[in-house]
Amino acid sequence: MATKARVLKPAAMPPRSIGRSLLLTLPIAVWSLLMFANPQRHLIRSEKVASLITAVFMIALFFLMMRTGSTYRWRRFFFVALGVLFPVGFIHTVMVMRGTMGIPIEEMIAGRTPFCYLPIPLLILPAAFTKSLVFPGSLLPGGGMSGAGMAAMAGMWLAITLVVGKGWCSYACFFGGIEEGMAAVRPRAKLRKIDPRWRYGPWAVLLAMVLLSLALFEPAYCMWLCPFKAVSEYVAARNTVGMVQNGIFVVLFAGLVIALPLLTKKRTQCAFFCPFGAFQSIFNKTSAFDVKIDRARCSPCVLCKTACPTMSLTDESIARGETLMSCMKCGACVDVCPKQAVVWHIKGTEVACKPERARLMFLYAAWAMAVMFGGTVIAGGLATILHVFV
Amino acid sequence: MKLRAILGYSAAGVTILVTLLVPFFLMGQFAKGFASLGLHVDEVYSGGPKARTIQSAGYSIDIHRPVFPHMLQTEKPFVQLDWRPVSALPAHVSETVDVDGDGQPDIRVSFDVPENPKTPLRVNVVALNWKYQSMENVSKEKYSRLIVRVDDAIIVRVPLARP
Amino acid sequence: MATPLILGEALALGLASGPACMASCGPVLVPSLLAERAGLRLNAGFLSAFLGARFLGYLLFAAVAWGLGVLLVLPQAQRLLLFGVVHVLLAGVLLWYAYAAGHTCAQSCAHSELVRISVTKKRGLPGAAALGFLTGVSLCPPFVAAGVRAAGLGSVAAALLFFAVFFVGTSIWFVPFVGLGCVARNEAVTTVARMAMVLIALYYAYLGFVMLMGRRVHGY
Repeated sequence: MATKARVLKPAAMPPRSIGRSLLLTLPIAVWSLLMFANPQRHLIRSEKVASLITAVFMIALFFLMMRTGSTYRWRRFFFVALGVLFPVGFIHTVMVMRGTMGIPIEEMIAGRTPFCYLPIPLLILPAAFTKSLVFPGSLLPGGGMSGAGMAAMAGMWLAITLVVGKGWCSYACFFGGIEEGMAAVRPRAKLRKIDPRWRYGPWAVLLAMVLLSLALFEPAYCMWLCPFKAVSEYVAARNTVGMVQNGIFVVLFAGLVIALPLLTKKRTQCAFFCPFGAFQSIFNKTSAFDVKIDRARCSPCVLCKTACPTMSLTDESIARGETLMSCMKCGACVDVCPKQAVVWHIKGTEVACKPERARLMFLYAAWAMAVMFGGTVIAGGLATILHVFV
Repeated sequence: MKLRAILGYSAAGVTILVTLLVPFFLMGQFAKGFASLGLHVDEVYSGGPKARTIQSAGYSIDIHRPVFPHMLQTEKPFVQLDWRPVSALPAHVSETVDVDGDGQPDIRVSFDVPENPKTPLRVNVVALNWKYQSMENVSKEKYSRLIVRVDDAIIVRVPLARP
Repeated sequence: MATPLILGEALALGLASGPACMASCGPVLVPSLLAERAGLRLNAGFLSAFLGARFLGYLLFAAVAWGLGVLLVLPQAQRLLLFGVVHVLLAGVLLWYAYAAGHTCAQSCAHSELVRISVTKKRGLPGAAALGFLTGVSLCPPFVAAGVRAAGLGSVAAALLFFAVFFVGTSIWFVPFVGLGCVARNEAVTTVARMAMVLIALYYAYLGFVMLMGRRVHGY
């Protein structure tokens, strides 16, 4: 990430008037009301207060995006809150339900293992060959810890992905915020030289895990490599293999999610490891929105390349006027560009022709999904904390 | 170029429309779609569908269809038996079970039923039929050899012997 | 004697077991094919070398085991030792392959086509054969199923013929892998393939060491 001074001083774009910003925020305010004030949800007091705080939080952030013209900075507040509060709510729930973060075999046999979206790409081939889902959850509602079932989570994933593509990694993933928060701690990166070939890591992990999952008929990534078991749950170790598996995720979490983002100011787990992110990259091809570079305005100063948390800009891609397939549409490059050459873009239209319109259309879609999905998770985590006081 | 721009804006507009439909329609429809694909949770986890039930004194024994793992799964083939409800079980269960329904006892199963549901369970299985493997003092070693309590049932999985 | 009916049974068993063979060989075959240069002919050659050596592995194992009468009754300790060594060797070959693929490109990318082909050949075909042979002697469930049936036949020649036809049945499922030759090869694809090979090699190394320590895993 570029230094703080450079982030705060993009090309001079006058702030939008307060009235106009409020007007543009109105649809998101209405949407938030619809999402959080559902009369069919019977909420206790702490949940009501948490929902109100979250709605105000999300509306305020969107207002600031409209007012300042900056996306990344405000989106990051939401994303870090999501990354911090998801584990709070989730771990609290598992501790209440079973007293441990370790999933006992009884829960797996009962089909009550909560299903997260990370194993989705691993389940496809075994299901195609045998119609079996190699995950100890329940397919239908009534199963899983949330009661939603695997079909519901898969349905939610597909619906949100249709809207945001790989923007999932910036507006929906409830794990990435931890790294994003760690990457923001230091003002300058300590490790600046990163071999760009590490960017292929997620694809390699995806290929290896898909092949091993088919060969072994188990969700290989979940069993062996997922670092986020450290902030959610893991298979309770019953033998030496189990202990080795648990040791691996602790090391990966400490390294890829905590230490390396701190030192490099990059989202290292996302950029160099996450197989789900590689899978989501495919959906950047189906998304109507992307980020482009107006070569007429570009210097090139390559500030965008330095700012990108996932190294999705290279000298070659900048020369071509585009980001790589791994772009998560976080807005860091757009906000840092001193010439306003990096712009939001609707595919098929001219680059830098009405970029603010493209930005608005994308943000309405992405932020609506963020409110619906991430906002609910934030409210849940907040309610867990507030329950102590309210 | 103009056509491409029109298509681009149309796609962007459709995206906004899809966004509005996600929580009220699309999510539910996609979930139903996934549920209707005919998929099922792998039987190594679920234990396979129930084949028949044996009624005993106040409780029943559900016998599932034998599970034969796929591809290179770690697990051996096994058959799952459920004793339910736990509240109706005696303090010590020891009985023969006709697993395949041919009228002949196939295994003898014995285990204690502790009052505290959190107490670990142990089971002994003596195979009276070559199709099944005996187990001695087994707890929850692996998916194909275990005894666990799940809700109001005690589940025993007996591995099948190699053909 | 192996009658046409029995050979038909071998073919049917092979066709039915093909997906399992594909799944078990996939982690080794797919990344190594992707690390090779593009081209249907090149990939077909690599696949042929892989399958040929796998076939030799099958026949060798079957012949030795039949001769010793121990196809199914090999004591567990010896079985674990044998397959532990095979898995560690497989991991070693995969790691060597991953290293060699990158090293070759670094050396030969600026050289003439002739030099590049010969350098590729030095790694490609022997590597394919080594990987194929090692996957062939790994006892996978379809192999066991064929072994059980073949053990019931009258002679070692009949058993080997049964295995050969069974092998043909399984190999039909591998033909689509040639299509990987159509995937464009660039730094991204070959780097992904090499990294994937390393990950998979680490997993096989783990399997091998656990088996060498006398612990049973994955049906062995």
